[in-house]
Amino acid sequence: MNFLRTLPGALVVPLAAWITYLFLMVPSLIVIPISFGGAGELEFPPRVWTLDLYRQFFNDPTWWGSLMESLKVAALVTVLTTVLGVPAAYALQRTNLPGRAVLNGLAMGPLLVPVIVLALGLYLQLAPIGFLNRTATVVLAHTMLAIPFMMVSVGAALRHLDPAYEQVALIMGAGRVRIFFRVVLPQLRAGIAAGALFAFLISLDEVIVAYFITGPETMTLPVKMYSALRWEVSPVIAAVSTLLTVISLVFALGLMWLERRDRNA
Amino acid sequence: MTNIEESQDMIRVNGLTRIYGTFTALDNVDLAVRRGEFVTLLGPSGSGKSTLLNLISGMVQATAGTIEIDGRDATNLPTNRRGLGMVFQNYALMPHMTVFENIAFPLQVRRVPRAEIETRVHEVLKLIQLEHVVQRKPKQLSGGQQQRISLARCIVYRPSIILMDEPLGALDKKLREDMQLEIKRLHAELGVTMIYVTHDQEEALAMSDRIVLMRKGRIEQQGAPEDLYFRPDTLFTADFLGSSNLFAGRLPAGSRQLDTPHGGLPLPAAREGEPEAGEAVLMVRPESMRLVSEGEEGGWPGLEATLRDSIVLGSYVRHFLDLADGKRVIVQEPSGATRRRPERGAQVRVRWAAEDGRLLPTDPDFKEL
Repeated sequence: MNFLRTLPGALVVPLAAWITYLFLMVPSLIVIPISFGGAGELEFPPRVWTLDLYRQFFNDPTWWGSLMESLKVAALVTVLTTVLGVPAAYALQRTNLPGRAVLNGLAMGPLLVPVIVLALGLYLQLAPIGFLNRTATVVLAHTMLAIPFMMVSVGAALRHLDPAYEQVALIMGAGRVRIFFRVVLPQLRAGIAAGALFAFLISLDEVIVAYFITGPETMTLPVKMYSALRWEVSPVIAAVSTLLTVISLVFALGLMWLERRDRNA
Repeated sequence: MTNIEESQDMIRVNGLTRIYGTFTALDNVDLAVRRGEFVTLLGPSGSGKSTLLNLISGMVQATAGTIEIDGRDATNLPTNRRGLGMVFQNYALMPHMTVFENIAFPLQVRRVPRAEIETRVHEVLKLIQLEHVVQRKPKQLSGGQQQRISLARCIVYRPSIILMDEPLGALDKKLREDMQLEIKRLHAELGVTMIYVTHDQEEALAMSDRIVLMRKGRIEQQGAPEDLYFRPDTLFTADFLGSSNLFAGRLPAGSRQLDTPHGGLPLPAAREGEPEAGEAVLMVRPESMRLVSEGEEGGWPGLEATLRDSIVLGSYVRHFLDLADGKRVIVQEPSGATRRRPERGAQVRVRWAAEDGRLLPTDPDFKEL
């Protein structure tokens, strides 16, 4: 603490922090000015400032369509992950379900297996039965990737939830279902919101699995970006990246705002 | 006693046992609680009092034995069908609900019509004089208010048994005393059966119709507060409730005098169940002892002692004395404005009426007396 009170200490620590922040942020931020450059090529700093790249993005139905597909998939993944992940986390934490350790391992599995292995496995399994190039398939695959995050987030919230609330409700005569919906769920709001945000963002920028199992009609935005980079190196990429960053930022800030309001309520 | 149904015990526990691995938390306990009785389970931590409470509430399953609630076997009845109320030490009010919603919750569970919920919540808030906080969240209330709300949430659905697990443990002394009176008043007004767990012997003495003192998973002794305080059967009971002076010695067969290192001590008249001869311990409460001046009265001269310290505790004075061999004795006398306290280091004499002593069996847990 004394170190921080001296002048060099007061300067060095924030400086080190800012250098770290910049190191992490610059690669993401540099595309923002680029995205306002001309339609000819990727350049920094841009010589002219226009909205051409954005115009190009919104006029091209393949770009525009893949953004809508991505948002649709991410929204469905968020809902499905919440519906499956929250009760699963509750069951694993608060019941004497036989084989809990195994179930927990299964749910956490996708975190441990390399994504490329998962992607290949899904492709080899789904291709012969004709399940590729379907929105539902992408949604299910992304849900699998997102569930561990939801379970970790909700699990942490549950560990901080005093079991006395559930006990007192039980003694007052409430059934398990009522306790879950009226007592437990409202107190897990912050944890569920964080897990849902993770699910949304994981799905929104997931490229490897989607690359394997999507097709022309179900192409998500990251897959479209990846193909664009490989085949055309279109500067539209910069506009798309900026848009994705903004969408993620809006959701993250929205969540932080909700949490703060919750805490002050 | 007009009909059999009315006179039945509200709770009857038979041979109740709970074992965790190699630890026996509750060991073959029998207990009956009468309808409307206020019973306190008292004991140090690990004595089994909370285990017994959790077994009655159904949150812990019995390893052996049976539990009857209101004449019906409830050993395996799910918690939410036992018709109990419970008040926790940390209140356990739902933080996301207002005071109204918290108290309405058990009524909603019972599918009470909306209009009736409204009246009953306000009735019970009036009873505890907290009508003005009805729309607040628990976080906006003081600890004492929260505990009263959790009491209200319990009595609003009129359970016939209310369990309380150290409900006043988190409150400061003054508030605790107010709440003790409030709980006593509610108990009297509602005629509900109460089972109250505490490790605070003063609280147990102040509130209970009957104290069940627990030790190592068993019932050590049970009875009215004055029974346990004045007529303990064991050293543990004597030591746990209030303070006591204990003199270890040997009782020759047929004698009414205990041979101790401090000399022969007079004993009260023989009673049933006390040690008849051999090793024994004489217990004397500090308030039964008096400091006496030389040459007062006749009979037993009392014990020589040196006054180490005296402290005034408001209405009474506590004297800490050392006997000739260094044994510490505590004497408690009423205080008074004109009463003169002996000087520190003064040689005094301590005496008590033989009838105020109580002869108890030895106990391996009380080796050094």
